[in-house]
Amino acid sequence: MTRPVLLPALLLAGLAAAGGGSGALAQQSNGGARALAPGVKVEVAPAPGSGSAPAAGKVDETALRYYARIGDGERLEAEIARLRALDPNWEPPKDLFAPQPTATGVDESPFWTLLSAGKVAEARAAIAEQRRKSPAWQPSDKLLQELDLAESAGRIRSASDTKRWQEVVDAAAARPEAVACNRLDNAWRLAEAYAELKQADRAFDTYRTIVTTCPKAKERRDTIFKASRYLTPEQLRELTALGATSNPATGEDYSSVRSAEAELETGRLLERLGNARPGALSASDLSRVQGIVRDKQDVDGAIALGWYFQKQKNYAEAQSWFSQANGWAPSDKAAEGLVLAYNGLGEKAQARAAAEPWKGKSSRVDQALKAVDPPRGPSGGGRSAPQGPSELDRALARHDFAGCIAIIRSSIERSGPTAALLQQRGWCLLELKRPSEAEAAFVEAQALAAREPAPKPAKGGASAAGKGSDRSPAASGLPQTPTREQENAYGQAIARLTTGDVTGLTRDLPRANLTPTQKAEIRASLMATEAGRALEDKRYHDVLRLLNARREIEPEPRNLGILRGWALYNLMRYDEAYAQFKSIDDRLSTEESREGVTTAWKTIYHDW
Amino acid sequence: MPKTARRAALWAALAAATLLTSGCAGWVRDNLTQSPTPWRRIQPAALPVTLGESRDFPIVAARMRDTGTVYKTYNAALGNPTTLPGENRLTVDVQTLPDSLFGALVQPPRVFPVPLYTMETLTVTTRREFPDMKVKVADGARRNRYGDYDYATAQDEANSCVLAWQLITDHKRMLPERIEAVRLEYRACGVGSNIRALLAPFDGLTLTLPETVLEAQDLGGL
Repeated sequence: MTRPVLLPALLLAGLAAAGGGSGALAQQSNGGARALAPGVKVEVAPAPGSGSAPAAGKVDETALRYYARIGDGERLEAEIARLRALDPNWEPPKDLFAPQPTATGVDESPFWTLLSAGKVAEARAAIAEQRRKSPAWQPSDKLLQELDLAESAGRIRSASDTKRWQEVVDAAAARPEAVACNRLDNAWRLAEAYAELKQADRAFDTYRTIVTTCPKAKERRDTIFKASRYLTPEQLRELTALGATSNPATGEDYSSVRSAEAELETGRLLERLGNARPGALSASDLSRVQGIVRDKQDVDGAIALGWYFQKQKNYAEAQSWFSQANGWAPSDKAAEGLVLAYNGLGEKAQARAAAEPWKGKSSRVDQALKAVDPPRGPSGGGRSAPQGPSELDRALARHDFAGCIAIIRSSIERSGPTAALLQQRGWCLLELKRPSEAEAAFVEAQALAAREPAPKPAKGGASAAGKGSDRSPAASGLPQTPTREQENAYGQAIARLTTGDVTGLTRDLPRANLTPTQKAEIRASLMATEAGRALEDKRYHDVLRLLNARREIEPEPRNLGILRGWALYNLMRYDEAYAQFKSIDDRLSTEESREGVTTAWKTIYHDW
Repeated sequence: MPKTARRAALWAALAAATLLTSGCAGWVRDNLTQSPTPWRRIQPAALPVTLGESRDFPIVAARMRDTGTVYKTYNAALGNPTTLPGENRLTVDVQTLPDSLFGALVQPPRVFPVPLYTMETLTVTTRREFPDMKVKVADGARRNRYGDYDYATAQDEANSCVLAWQLITDHKRMLPERIEAVRLEYRACGVGSNIRALLAPFDGLTLTLPETVLEAQDLGGL
């Protein structure tokens, strides 16, 4: 399917613009050059080593036979199309799949194999050695051309990897064939180089040429996502319109290209939603994002909307979105928001009911419940519940963790510390990415809790106050509610994880006073951290070993799924890596998942 | 008899050498473990730096890690009297010279860039460290015991922060023979707008590496 279309216009964007007025004039007679979009001229690749079509019977079939032999159907098809373009009378040989002795008696397969593996220097050395042995032998034009192209592509990649943007442009200018649809990665790198060099127009022209000439819908769509980093929304809109309509190839469905812009826009709006101060989003943007989230039943989007309204203290709207998210896919994230939204509405019973399925199983829900039923505070002294949510509860409901610290500080200054207050301070410090201080707060809270009288046991239950109780609540078969000491130990463990104290925590975990659920959660996090480290150390078998063990404890999240994909890829288990990336990408396509899919695919099909 | 024994010994040695080099004794792919070790907790007293007593910025925790045999990184988490996010800290990277030919040949990638910052990387860092604050890069350098250092400040209505960085590379005069370079980075946020007070711990710190690092004033002001 991949047509060998060149993109010289990428390098001559300025010229293309100058000739834009006549762009629509087809130039079919000029060596295959043709106008595909206003202002952009694209050429069909000439025959290797020649500017014009060779005489019939002179077609170089070396590459064709090589692709047939290794079973690379896609490239085989592309090569047949290319040869037919050179010589319309040419037909693929009938014995394409039969072993062929070469005319000169030299089999080029080893050189092609080296080339396919990206070992260009080795391929050149092997050719030189062969020529020393058989001075009469000449490598095929196609082989030499492919070697030159691979070297040029390598130069572009290496310059781009090291951010030498001008060199990327120069290398592409020296060898325009290296920037073709069948080497799309190079074309993207060229566009990126232009963008980094602040040549925005050329970057846009490059992207535009890709989406109007490369036939595959997926490639056009990926290009739009790549371009989104550099282009304005207006340019992206234009790019999408062109990609969805220009030069359609038969059998390709461009609806996914058309939807790319909307997906990008949704992503942008949701991102803004997350960071937005109240009222920062216009009414039209807000209503648009609400419509999209509803249409796609986007759980994360619904939760983001919930927090947006929660921050605005629009608790009714927040509750409705958290409920929606929880209805589409129940999760502790949605439940956490729901608890706090109900609490904001003053519906404490509903808040408790929303928390019920996750109580004792999710730290975030347990945390949210504290806003509903706050731990005994230092002030008041009476036994009756405070009237309405306290200042601290309201700060927590707003996710205002700086406010939480300030309120606790003044509370301690006023009435002295309590274990509950110090513990809450620990959680708020963790939210503020101050784990060392958080750990110290939990340690202090634990010391204080040991001196304070145990909290009253829950109705009808045994004491859950830790030291005083001599039997584990787990013995009753009920989910174990953590004691205050266990909550503090859990907070310390989370803080240590955040500071990267993996070794120490692994050592101390077996002796830590944690519930089995808490222990399992920490253990899973430790294994995830260790797997990440193993990947950095290139211990790929270890990555899989750790991730497999972790998966026994809890389901694998996306990021670790991507990690698994790269471990498989680096172990050269390309098919499994591709399947892994693809399964993640099919569920929710992100830059990371797309990169995995593309890299694995290109490696499997030698499409670099 | 001695000839037979010698031959047997030779064969045994050859066999052992073959086994050891052929992977039968175990082999790890890409065995160049040059990435950083996990952080280890250490006592504040084990840090190779002394900070003056400070009520606002006490050492809350200390940790270290190695990268290969060349780099040691120490991190002191400091108290943060504000309600701003992010830890106050002092980081010390010590780059030693390799102690073997193999160590010289196989060096880990540098744990800190040189130059320490460009305007671009500094912008990214300050935006990450001090979100929603007004950031300003100081026009002139300041001086502590180890020479000049650069810094940036960040402020909002109630708080101020500083990020200071310093690279000590004068191993001919200041650094002991074994040490190639020392990188210091200091981040502190405090209540109010007194930048000098925030920088005071960095101005007054003393390096306490096993071998003495000479101070700038020891060298006649450099």
